[in-house]
Parts: sequence; structure tokens; C-alpha cells
Amino acid sequence: MKKVFAVTLGILTAIGGFVDIGDLVANSLVGARFGMSLAWVVVVGVVGICLFAEMSGRIAAVSQRPVFDLVRERLGPRAGLVNLGASFGINLLTLAAEIGGAALALELATGVNYLLWVPAVGLTAWLVMWRVRFSTMEKVFGLAGLALVAFAVALWQLDPDVGELTRQLTSPPPDEPVPTYWYYAIALLGAAMTPYEVFFFSSGGVEERWTRKDLVTARANVFVGFPLGGFLSLVIAACAATLFLPAQVQVDTLGQMVLPAGLALGKIGLAAVIFGVFAATFGATLETALSSGYTLSQYFGWQWGKYVRPKDAARFHASVLVAVIVATALILTTVDPIKVTEYSLVFSAAALPLTYLPVLMIANDPDYMGDKVNGRFSNFLGTAYMILLVVAAVAAIPLMIATKAGQ
Amino acid sequence: MTTARTLHAQLHLLDRQVVRAEDGRMICKVDDLELTTDEQGRPYVLAILAGPLALGPRIGGVVGRLVVGVTELFRPEEDPGPQRIPMITVSEIGSAVTVGGDVQEAALEHWVRVNVIAPLPGSGVETAAGERRPARRGDLTGRLRMSDLIGRRVVDDSGALVGQVADVRLSQDGPMLGEVQHAFRVAGLIVVPRHTGQLFGYERGPAGQAPALVAAVVRRLHRNSRYVTWEQVDVIADDVRLAVPTAELAPLAGLHRSMSR
Repeated sequence: MKKVFAVTLGILTAIGGFVDIGDLVANSLVGARFGMSLAWVVVVGVVGICLFAEMSGRIAAVSQRPVFDLVRERLGPRAGLVNLGASFGINLLTLAAEIGGAALALELATGVNYLLWVPAVGLTAWLVMWRVRFSTMEKVFGLAGLALVAFAVALWQLDPDVGELTRQLTSPPPDEPVPTYWYYAIALLGAAMTPYEVFFFSSGGVEERWTRKDLVTARANVFVGFPLGGFLSLVIAACAATLFLPAQVQVDTLGQMVLPAGLALGKIGLAAVIFGVFAATFGATLETALSSGYTLSQYFGWQWGKYVRPKDAARFHASVLVAVIVATALILTTVDPIKVTEYSLVFSAAALPLTYLPVLMIANDPDYMGDKVNGRFSNFLGTAYMILLVVAAVAAIPLMIATKAGQ
Repeated sequence: MTTARTLHAQLHLLDRQVVRAEDGRMICKVDDLELTTDEQGRPYVLAILAGPLALGPRIGGVVGRLVVGVTELFRPEEDPGPQRIPMITVSEIGSAVTVGGDVQEAALEHWVRVNVIAPLPGSGVETAAGERRPARRGDLTGRLRMSDLIGRRVVDDSGALVGQVADVRLSQDGPMLGEVQHAFRVAGLIVVPRHTGQLFGYERGPAGQAPALVAAVVRRLHRNSRYVTWEQVDVIADDVRLAVPTAELAPLAGLHRSMSR
């Protein structure tokens, strides 16, 4: 049983990365507009995040150094600061969106306007980070997010036309312009490989005090968690493609997004899915809020982490607190949380190489890794992904402008 | 002296995490290194410098100036300096730099703990607000910093430009620090022809070769890089002036053969 719980860090990380509020909506939106024709991007993203999360987990286990330490160490203070600015900004926007998403899930469940829930969600999230142990936190919210499996049951109950879904895999709808297709491809890739996943995952490994002996645990976390997250996001897209694509419905609210589960499974399905959405977005809130503390502390060399008492990591806890307050205030301006993530995803695609290049370099550095350096296979894939990420990063902003953010 | 440990300042020391030996607590980063000279006028590393007053100048530009300016504004002494951690306390240099002894905590950490964290319920801080942290004297020594050396232009004996310093090779055969360890002394300079950024450790030869494409790109950017031994340096002024013509300098590619690790 202990072995089963050992992979909850990977599950929480992946659920926060793959099925957080931005992806929940992006997957439904993409499924409704493009059918399954972008499913390959999710697969590419899952392989990519598995690859780099495995490297960063291995580095954390062998050398006890989390990812942002490596960014500063290899790129130096200047490029490191650029990455810190970009990552911290994206983190803050995503955190705001997740708080909004959790509040929207509560609105769906209770009918009370989400703005009233926002301060409560912010406060609860902070209390969890302030008082609850890291391992308890990852178990509770990682496992609760699994309620989203209800989407898989819903898809089965909807009895989709498998032949039609398979046909969509290779044929994008003809009425969508090509730049828009690629814009969403980059957004999905950015969503799958968001840097805060590796920040959180590797820092979590240090919090769990992984050592060389835990390399198997680290790998199990990666190869269970991330494919599961990818599977859930594909299922959500398939639900939308089955239900909304034939009817030409545009999905842009959380209410529409949970509809397939309601239609297929009735009240119980709807309740499970809303619970799952809340757990996933709340888990992502914790992930992004802690990541903002991790990145800042690891750049400046402050003591960080929940494995020491708050008084021993004062600057870390203060940064988390300030991040939560700023994000809560941002979402209380009634800015649309879903729009916020759509933009932050594309910006995050532009910052990806700056995070993953140092990881790839250190994973090959015998000073850090000893005999646990990358093998040929990891290096071959890693190089291929670096090229892909650089292309995506260069194309991200121009495509966003050219397509008016995918309209 | 062939067995002395060799390190590259930029690659192995700068920007690494500093942790306390007794409990592994994180203290700061190696924001810069302070150099002083031995009797023969050869620089060796005296201390790790940390904090905004060491980091700011390395960031440079408007941001760097702001970091330094704001810090100086809030520091009571007339000429505040960065925190110095003497190299004599360093017990291990690996993926982190381990230091023994008691290092005073950063002023910001203290301020945040007393004024932000302590008032929160459940923080476990017993000290009352208003607790004073003993003031640290600014140690403004005016000595050479590693970051002053890295990036400096290098000219040969005729005044022709060779390139700029990308990294500084150190070997642990300098003057004794305390009773048991030698100081890291400057052994030579790695000089790159243009503003081509860092070498990322790919100058170390076979040990740092993978992945092949990244190594090829980095090496291509830094082709014609050279290694200058300390004996070939004439004087360090505004530029590093060499005592020999460019043609006598060794190409960087051969460096890894003499690496001790």
C-alpha cells in the first residue's frame, strides 16, 4: 500500500499540469473545434514531460538540487533572472486562474457566485500550504483529482463513434485556418510541458528527501502520473468531440465542459466530475503557489521547503503568501480566469527552452550525476525535444498575434 | 603539485547553492568570489561573496544597479559590502558548496521572520517582534572580484585583441588557509574570441560531451578559444595583457587532457 501512495507526487503534479483549469477548458474547446485532430500533440507533450521530469527527478534524487537551482547554475544570473521573471509571471497568472477555476467549480456545485468563493479558496489554499505536511497534501489532492476518471466512464457511456474519432486523428476540420490549428497545437504543447510541473516535481522530490535509493520511486512517479494526466485530457477532448463537434457548439465555460458527464451519467456523474474539477484545480493552486516560492528561493539561494518549520524558511513562506494574495486580488478584478490561462499557456511555451536546456545539460554532467548520467536514448529524445521546443518558442508569439489568439 | 584539485570558477563555483555542514540548511548562493594576491602577485580565492551587493553587479544594467541601490538604501552603514564567507570554512565543493561554522543569517530573512511570519498563527516563532539582529559590519575590501575578471578583454604582447575571459581555472595549490587546506589559486584563463556566452562545461572534453548536438553547437560557437596559463599573463589592468603573442597560446581543445578529474 505504501508503494501505491509513493506515486502520488507524480499524480498531483500531472493533474495540476494536465487537467488544471486551463487544460480542462482548452481540451474541451479544442475537442469541440478540431475533434481529435490535435490528439497527437498531447501524446508528444506527454512523452516530452515524461522525459524531462524523469531527468529532473533523477537529478533531484542523486544531487538534491531542484530544477531552478540548475537554471541559475548553468545559465548564470542574467539569463536565470530572465527565466525567473517569465516563469514567475506565468506562475502567478496560472495561480490566479486556478483559484478562479476552483471557485467556478464551487459555483457549479452551489449556485453561489464564484467571486464569493475566491477569497475562501485563496485562504484555504494558503492554510493548507502553511500547516499541512507535504506528503499528506500530495496524497489527499492527488488522489481526489482522480475523480476526473468519471470522464472516461462518461465517454464509454456516450458510446462514441470510434471510427469517426479515429478518422479525426489525421484530418483537421477543413474550415479552420492552418495558423489557428498550429496556434492551438503550441498552446496544448505548452500546457503539457508547463515549466512549473518540473519545478514542483523536482522540489517535491527534495521535500520527500529522495536519495539514490529512490530512483525507482522517482521513475514510477513520472511514468504513472504523467501518462495518466495525458489520458484524462484526451478523454475530455474525446467527450467534447463526440458531443459538441457535430452540433458546432463553442465551449467556453466550465458549465459546458462538465456537461458530457452529466448527460451520460446523470447527477452522480456530474457530482463526481465537479468534485474532480475542484480537486484538480485546487491541487493546481497548491502546485503553482508553491512553485512561485520554489523558483524565487532557488534563484536567490534562500532556504525553502515545507520540510523545515516556517520560521526557518521565512522568505519562502512569505513569497507563497504574497503570491496567493496577489493572485486572489487579480481574480477578484473579475478578469476571466479561463482567458488568463489561455494567454499564459502561450507565453509559457515561449519560455520552455530556458528551463529544459539546463536540465538536459546537468543530466549529462558526471560531476552531478556520477554514473547516473543520461543514456543515449534519453539524449537522442532530449535533443529532438530541444529542437522542437525552440521552434515552438520562436513561433508562439507571432502565431498568437497572427491568429488573434486563436479566434 | 600535479595532484592539486582543479576547478573552473564559473562552472564549479559561481551560482552554486551554499549549504551549512551541520544540518544541510541552505544559506545563500555563491554570488561572487573575492580574490587577493599572494607574494608572487598571483590571485587566489579568499572568500565567497553573497547577497544583493554581490549579485547586483553581476546582473548588471538597470536591474543590477537597482538591486545594489535599494540594498544600500536600507543598510545602515556608510559603505555596506556583501556578505563574506571565508574559503577556510568551505568543507566540500560538489553539487552544493558546504560550509562549516555559523554563518549569520541574511538581513532580509530576519526581517521577514520577525515582521511577517512571527505574527501569523502557528508559525512557531517565540521571539517577540522588534528583536534586533546584531548589525553586520560592511566588509568593503575593494579587492578583486571573480566577476571583474570574467568578461575582461584579453590582449597579447603587441596589443592585438585575443578575446575575453570566459572562465578562470583554479587549482588548489595556493597559500595555506588555516592549517589544513590550500587556497584555490588562479592557474589560467579560458579565453573565447567573441561575446559567445558560457561554455556550459563543454570545454572539459569527453566528460562533458553529451548530448552530441548541444556539444557541437557550443563548441562551434566557441571555436578558436584559447587557454592562457598564468605564466603567460603579464599584467591585469583594464585589459588582461599577455606577455606572449597570440600564436603561442594553446588551443582550448587540449585542455581536458590535463584535467585532474
